[in-house]
Amino acid sequence: MNEDFIHKWISQVKKGTLSFIVLNVLKSGKAYYGYDLINEIKKITEIEIAEGTLYPLMNRLKDEKLIISEWVEQESGIPRKYYSITHEGKNTVTKMEEYWHNLNQSILKITK
Amino acid sequence: MKLKEIPFKDQSAERIYQDYLYRIRKQVKGLNQQNQDEILMELNSHIYENLQEHPAGNEVEKLLNILEKLGRPEEILKPLVADKKLAEATRTFNPIHVFKALLLNLTNGISYIIFFILYLFLFGFVFLICAKIWNPSQVGFFYKPGEVFIIGLSKGLVNPADEILGNWFIPVMIIVAIALYFMITLLLKLKRTINK
Repeated sequence: MNEDFIHKWISQVKKGTLSFIVLNVLKSGKAYYGYDLINEIKKITEIEIAEGTLYPLMNRLKDEKLIISEWVEQESGIPRKYYSITHEGKNTVTKMEEYWHNLNQSILKITK
Repeated sequence: MKLKEIPFKDQSAERIYQDYLYRIRKQVKGLNQQNQDEILMELNSHIYENLQEHPAGNEVEKLLNILEKLGRPEEILKPLVADKKLAEATRTFNPIHVFKALLLNLTNGISYIIFFILYLFLFGFVFLICAKIWNPSQVGFFYKPGEVFIIGLSKGLVNPADEILGNWFIPVMIIVAIALYFMITLLLKLKRTINK
């Protein structure tokens, strides 16, 4: 077994699916701030994500108009930046799910 | 909204925190003030929320763990800064922003190198304008149907009488250079939209 190859492959898969995971967490409509979102992803999926990579990704999703963000003042004086999904984001994640489902079916067939 | 720093009891923790903030500031300093504040405040909020979740324990150790998981600012902010700078450049058409954005994106694909060369090409016009002042009779737009068609420096090859722009050469070159600058920047903007 080539562990190095598997390690690289896993990190590519994680990188490629992070936007799908993030949009899926947000699709319920609840708003999350960055750290909260990381915890939620860990809780549901048990996937350890490189925390620093989340913020550039959130910026890209925002550029694509799939999510929006809003600063909310806190008592501590350190505000949180809350992210929530847009209508376009919801439609996009539905399409992504369809693709994922088909891909999954194909992979199950090929790995049988 | 401005950054409110996290207070630390431990002096070493405070120093590590200040060093991390300094490294973030250094990475984002090329961006506009609003983008700089946003990035700094968001990472600051991440550190704060993480610390709040684990109130007990050694501050230095907790902070080091958080910063290690978050990653080095030099690495995590590179794609974010390059992306935001390109957005700033193509929105404002400011040549300084365009230059900085291209430098940040040079390693992101051959097309950015081509854009860089296209912008360098514009300096040819600046050169011609200076050359016209230095050597007015041999620099210009020489045109004689079927014989000569030269924009530039002729070095004695053409008849100065064939120059058709005269005193208009410098203003026309300035206008052409500005028009080309806008066209190249629009192409860069289009490329960014297609990338998305």
